[in-house]
Amino acid sequence: MSTADTPTGTLDELPESIEQTLKTLDIHFEKIRFAVRSDVIHTGTFGEEWFVLTDAAIFTVTGEGEVLHYIPYESVLGIRAESVVDAGLVVLETHEGTIDLIRYSNSCAAKFGFVARFIGDEIEFRDGKRDEPPVWDYKVEEHSCKTCGLLLADEFSPCPACTKKHRVMLRIFSYMRPYRGKAWIYTLLVIVSTLIFLFPPYFTRILIDDILLLNDATAPAADENITWLGQIFRSIQPAVLALSIAIGGLLVVYLTRVLFTVLHSRLSAWLTFRIAANIRAHVYEHLHNLSIRFFDKRTTGTVISHITEDSERLQDFLLEGLSFLSVQLFLFFGIGTMLFLMNWKLACFVLIPIPIIVMGAGWFWRKLRSLWHRAWRRRSKLFDVVNDSVSGIRVVRAFGQQTSEVSRFDTANVDTREYETKAELIWATYYHPLLFAVQFGSLIIWYVGGLDILTGTMTFGTLIAFHAYLTMFYEPLRYVSPLINWASRSMTAAERLFEVIDSQPEQTDDGNLKDMPNILGEVQFRNMTFGYDSHKPVLKDINLHVKPGEMIGLVGHSGAGKSTLINLICRFYTPDGGKLEIDGEDIKQVNLRDLRRQIGVVLQEPYLFSGTIGENIAYANPDASMEDIITAARAANAHEFIVKFPDGYDTEVGERGGSLSGGERQRISIARAILHNPRILILDEATSSVDVETEKKIQQAIDRLVQNRTTFAIAHRLSTLRNADRLFVIEKGKGVECGSHAELMEKKGIYYKLVETQREAANVRAEAQILER
Amino acid sequence: MQDKDVAEQNKDNTNSTKEPEQDDFTQRFLEAKELTFSRSPVGTARLEIHNEVCHLRVIVRKLMPLSNPDKYISLAADEDTEIGILVNPSELTSESQIILNEELDKRYFTPTIKKIYRVKEQFGIHEWEVETERGRVTFQVRGLNQNIKQALPARLFVTDVRGNRYDIPDYRELDAKSFHQIQRHL
Repeated sequence: MSTADTPTGTLDELPESIEQTLKTLDIHFEKIRFAVRSDVIHTGTFGEEWFVLTDAAIFTVTGEGEVLHYIPYESVLGIRAESVVDAGLVVLETHEGTIDLIRYSNSCAAKFGFVARFIGDEIEFRDGKRDEPPVWDYKVEEHSCKTCGLLLADEFSPCPACTKKHRVMLRIFSYMRPYRGKAWIYTLLVIVSTLIFLFPPYFTRILIDDILLLNDATAPAADENITWLGQIFRSIQPAVLALSIAIGGLLVVYLTRVLFTVLHSRLSAWLTFRIAANIRAHVYEHLHNLSIRFFDKRTTGTVISHITEDSERLQDFLLEGLSFLSVQLFLFFGIGTMLFLMNWKLACFVLIPIPIIVMGAGWFWRKLRSLWHRAWRRRSKLFDVVNDSVSGIRVVRAFGQQTSEVSRFDTANVDTREYETKAELIWATYYHPLLFAVQFGSLIIWYVGGLDILTGTMTFGTLIAFHAYLTMFYEPLRYVSPLINWASRSMTAAERLFEVIDSQPEQTDDGNLKDMPNILGEVQFRNMTFGYDSHKPVLKDINLHVKPGEMIGLVGHSGAGKSTLINLICRFYTPDGGKLEIDGEDIKQVNLRDLRRQIGVVLQEPYLFSGTIGENIAYANPDASMEDIITAARAANAHEFIVKFPDGYDTEVGERGGSLSGGERQRISIARAILHNPRILILDEATSSVDVETEKKIQQAIDRLVQNRTTFAIAHRLSTLRNADRLFVIEKGKGVECGSHAELMEKKGIYYKLVETQREAANVRAEAQILER
Repeated sequence: MQDKDVAEQNKDNTNSTKEPEQDDFTQRFLEAKELTFSRSPVGTARLEIHNEVCHLRVIVRKLMPLSNPDKYISLAADEDTEIGILVNPSELTSESQIILNEELDKRYFTPTIKKIYRVKEQFGIHEWEVETERGRVTFQVRGLNQNIKQALPARLFVTDVRGNRYDIPDYRELDAKSFHQIQRHL
């Protein structure tokens, strides 16, 4: 039998020892073609087992070299990879019966899927059921970072290890570049206002030591500690004047502080919203250049939350968190320095409660956060229960299930109560002890500082000032943990945003792209294979040549692969094997902008954007004249109902066209396609769920639309395909029949059966209608 | 009591299968005593319904794999052709039970986590090292929130980056150290 030469390196490397063992057997073979390693052994535990294909037979061998199965290649009739719950197995059809050959976990599903498909195709080729031998086009499904080898989510994702955290911050700041001047002013303002914060306690000290208590005999001032400012105030006489000047000075300090805080807050708001908006715009713009696959791997919700929540989270942090953090950080070090300058011995005592505060607060917030999260989850479950039973209130009443609904609510309610109570209890129990840790610090200072005053080594004013600094010093410590959390959550949000920006766009122009401004509309599929996961092909070996202007009806059961075929023509995806050509050019090489400009779609669920009817018709050609729009609407049989609306073409369609009927939306989307004037047209079940009269109108509109265009039409209702030049019947991903309606009816194949079934169903419906009358 | 009902119903069903022209939508419930599982020479599971038919390769599926995994086993000749439902496999002969369990094990792979050695986070990917009934294994999970599904009351399903699912039937029953490992990350 003829076998294609297959490269071995792309799959697993069979260990030398096993190869040697195989060679010592009395089963003769020339060479090993390839070997695949499984991570599950035949008894079902994790381990190592091998699937080996030689030129003459298939073997399965244990990791120790013991042969489990030996099947001569000639006796293999078929092979498939069967997926079971969370694993898979290779099943072989042989002359002796069905054999469960080898088991594997999902980690190996891709390679076994490929191998089974390859061998299956080879066997079909051997048995003459296939014209060409299969091509070895094994692709590694898993994507890992090219620099560090870390496993990535998909081929689009940047490596999180190689985009380091501090780089994220730098990147955020890089968005500040256009506002560089303002950013520097902001930094300066923060520094200055921090410095101003340090003044008042210092002033308090002078107020007490050098003015109020100057003549008090009970306060023996330690003269060597007098500051230069203190000296000046001491020299001012009378004391009332000194007091007035000091209070005046304090007033100026407070006012300046207000001024600077206002200034830097204003500037921070100005900067933040610009940065956030720019990042958001960048993400959004990039999103539209990404492959459809990117959107397949993520839910709509995730993508939307990138744009809204993530950027909002980042914005909030930049706006409030960042300025709070930077001010507090400056303050922390500023006050620390002041404390040590004033009295380094006392300052050392200040440090004692810090570990307790930081660790205690850390534990406290962590505990609280997890409980809050769990309580939130319970609450949303409770909400679901309410939502469920209120939305389904008629069903609840009809089945008399009020009591059970109430008890379902009670269970969820009690559950919610438990977790909410737990969280509140933690707060109630530990918040005040945490505060005490802070107060404990001040007790130490009162005691140690008090002793110093009693011995006359420190002034009363110093202690008061020290104490004021102390409160400011401890304050941020209590919030270290939630702040760090906030910061890290915002950085993660930023990372997610940058992940979108860093994702590979759908098509990058490497200079080899073909510009095709005028497509003729010839479409050719050559042995095209495709699967959303490439080891599970949805379309297999599709061969079809479509002439320009031809209308092809795609027929098949739901799930046969019709929509997938259409997705490939739009090049939302690229074929895994074989080729798809437009006017003789490989679609991969065609400039996407040119291609999409000349493809028009009328979808099953026509999507209308919010805006007016006129805007929707002109969606793809915003510059179209009113005359063109009306002509298109007329051709689509839409004009007649549009004129009846009070607002005519200015009628708002509402979100997703909610205020229009299905048939009206359908015709507007046809008008949109007519105005777009595509070379290749895709119709997806355009006449479903409308009444007979409307269907006729739509059919007429479509007939006008398909004129002189290459058209691919999907319709479950076969009557809608009567105008098609040829019908292409897809069954389980394979093109099984192709020809005109008459030819296929004569053939009495799958198409014939489909038509018969529908006719029967139609007869039943017709009879029912007659009976009703 | 339930089984008795089923058995009675079953009698009716066997009768109705003999009249193929009737629109038969009643489910066929099979009784353990009329079934024998055996292995064919090539190793596939064979099912014999006594005095009736022998299926060469039977496909077994659990109807309630989560809430009642040991009962209600659907037996099928191929993916689309169900033979019937075996309500209580524990009444099978022990040889048949062994084969049925082997087949179920083949179809329901989901390893059960017995012990968690460690969960280590790096760049949003959590690497788990665990002991399962299928042996010790290390796997990676991305984004714990999306990939750990909780089924009430305390069952967890963890899905790794390669699409493998791991089952923790009740996380409260894990040993303290294992529990701590997940608690930290949940």
